[in-house]
Amino acid sequence: MRKGVRILLIVLVGLLLVTSCSEEQDFDQINDLAIAPSYETSIFYVKAQEPLINSIEDLSFFTQEFNFDAFEEPFFANRVLAGVLTYELENTTSKPIEIRLEFLDENENVLDTEVFSMDAAPTAILQREVAYGPSGKSIDIIKATSEMRLTAINLGDHSSESTLQDPAIVLRSSAEFTLELQ
Amino acid sequence: MRLCHCLFVAGVLLTLGLSAQNRQILYDFNEIPQSLSVNPGVETDFKWYAGVPLLSGISGYAGSNAISINDIFANDGIDINLKFRERALDVLTPKDEFSSTVQIEYLSGGFRSVNPNIFYSFGGYLELDNISYWPQDYAYLLFDGNADQLGRRYDLGDLKVRGSLVNVFHFGINKKIDRNLTIGARGKLYSAIADYSSSTNNGHLSTTEGQNNRIATNLNADLLLRTSGLQVLEEANDAETLGNEIISRALLGGDLGLGVDLGFTYHLSERTTVTGSLLDVGFIYHTSDPKKYRLKGNTSVEGIEIDILDNFASLDRDFWQDLVDEIEEAVPFETDTKSYISFRPTKLYASIRNDFGEPIGNGGSQSCDCTTGSSGGGELRTKYRNSVGGQLYMINRPRGPQTALTGFYTRRIGNVLALKGTYTIDKFSKTNIGLGMNLQAGPVNFYVMADNLFSYNNIAATNYASFQLGFNVISWGRK
Repeated sequence: MRKGVRILLIVLVGLLLVTSCSEEQDFDQINDLAIAPSYETSIFYVKAQEPLINSIEDLSFFTQEFNFDAFEEPFFANRVLAGVLTYELENTTSKPIEIRLEFLDENENVLDTEVFSMDAAPTAILQREVAYGPSGKSIDIIKATSEMRLTAINLGDHSSESTLQDPAIVLRSSAEFTLELQ
Repeated sequence: MRLCHCLFVAGVLLTLGLSAQNRQILYDFNEIPQSLSVNPGVETDFKWYAGVPLLSGISGYAGSNAISINDIFANDGIDINLKFRERALDVLTPKDEFSSTVQIEYLSGGFRSVNPNIFYSFGGYLELDNISYWPQDYAYLLFDGNADQLGRRYDLGDLKVRGSLVNVFHFGINKKIDRNLTIGARGKLYSAIADYSSSTNNGHLSTTEGQNNRIATNLNADLLLRTSGLQVLEEANDAETLGNEIISRALLGGDLGLGVDLGFTYHLSERTTVTGSLLDVGFIYHTSDPKKYRLKGNTSVEGIEIDILDNFASLDRDFWQDLVDEIEEAVPFETDTKSYISFRPTKLYASIRNDFGEPIGNGGSQSCDCTTGSSGGGELRTKYRNSVGGQLYMINRPRGPQTALTGFYTRRIGNVLALKGTYTIDKFSKTNIGLGMNLQAGPVNFYVMADNLFSYNNIAATNYASFQLGFNVISWGRK
């Protein structure tokens, strides 16, 4: 009899352990989980050599519109919160240069313009960071950008040549954007 | 947002759902007919048995070696973002796994041959099995992104997942060779309802200082996802015929495969026994709805690059689209519908057992003729009240074999009750205490077992939990 009771107790303890409890869980917390990563990548790189600049007699030696669908992609446009575009302009030519970068929407309306003026070489690399979002320009500019228009203006002569190796005006750019994935 | 939500919940919970499971309590618990399922070479003493349909064997397990549901979802007032970063993102590694298995036996039976040394068993069960490893670098890319991480290589090989829903028909033979040796084999016919795997991924993603532009984004990818049955099930779900489709695919209308289980029991001495089994040595040939998705290639991108002198004659072209085309050519995303083979997660069990205490059946409290091997009419082998021993379990997994060691003690109380306690150490837990009970009420057999019992005071905080239970009707063919 005592043995039976002992066995029963063992079984009950086992069952109690098996049917025991759990601390309170709140699975709705998942809705508060914020997923907002920041990604960076290069955007565009443009190089114009001095012989090319000298060969074009117009003040503007280069004007070109580029299709740029990256910002319009729904995955990006629907989730982007903020961003920073970083430009680097390097001038190793013998003439002062002005670069005008315009952000255009689908109808080619100008949404934003960045102007860079560079003295003739030797001059330091110009670096500029332009913020979009809460701490900068409207992020809607980025979301609506469909094209970019790049205009380069020679503010010097058309004959001088820099003594530096491979003289050119070079525009480098990269972007860092924060996306709200949840 | 909904997609991310679903992916996260699927990732954390579904994989934590519920038997590529170590069934260490059931193993060598030969009072229970289902012990044949983990060792077809177990010593049996039944004349016949019949499992209660859908109730003869239900087992489930969920495990994560490094994180629990409670770690993230406890209602403790701590911001989930902080908990997720401190307890998951910054802690988990690609070796940490989330795995789960549910096995439901819907048909189970066995009978002794005219030759009393041979016992046949048969049955069928559904098995849902999932395993995924923490995709560490993917998680960092998802939660933090790649900004300000110049030079860091994100390992695309961190993604390793595998899962399947399979219906298994089996037929086994268990033969007592002599007084000391019993061997068994079971053939299996798999009918896969659904399967997915992405476990051979390689490559990396990195950002480095560009040659021309500020940043170069480098991608070296060799990613492969194979699925079968998922599209068919999705279409059936849309057509509200999902149940019919699952049944059709389970009843040999899905992807078919073959497998075998092997096992033995050998008595080194009167009281010392060794056993071993190799389960699910088999494959499934996926032909009914196979899909392969592959991303393979190598590229380095610095954005749109325009050298005006070089491109003077073609400045009107669409540089953006050209860049997209170049990337797609260098790293093509390809799909095909070629058949493929998947291998079942093979398991290995081994044990050594020492019996001691008062013999039962010969002067003990046992009152029936159910001493091991008795129905065979061959020489009876004495059972003892107590057994103690150790067990080894191994299973092949995408990141190599997983091992568990178990120490156990079995206590037999008359012919009615047998209890087995286990202590198991594996990657999930070092405090895994399990308890199994087999109750024999006349011909009705009931068993229940669960492990990691200490975790049940807060089940949400456990890294591992499993259970098994079942009903059978057993006859020993009284003389």
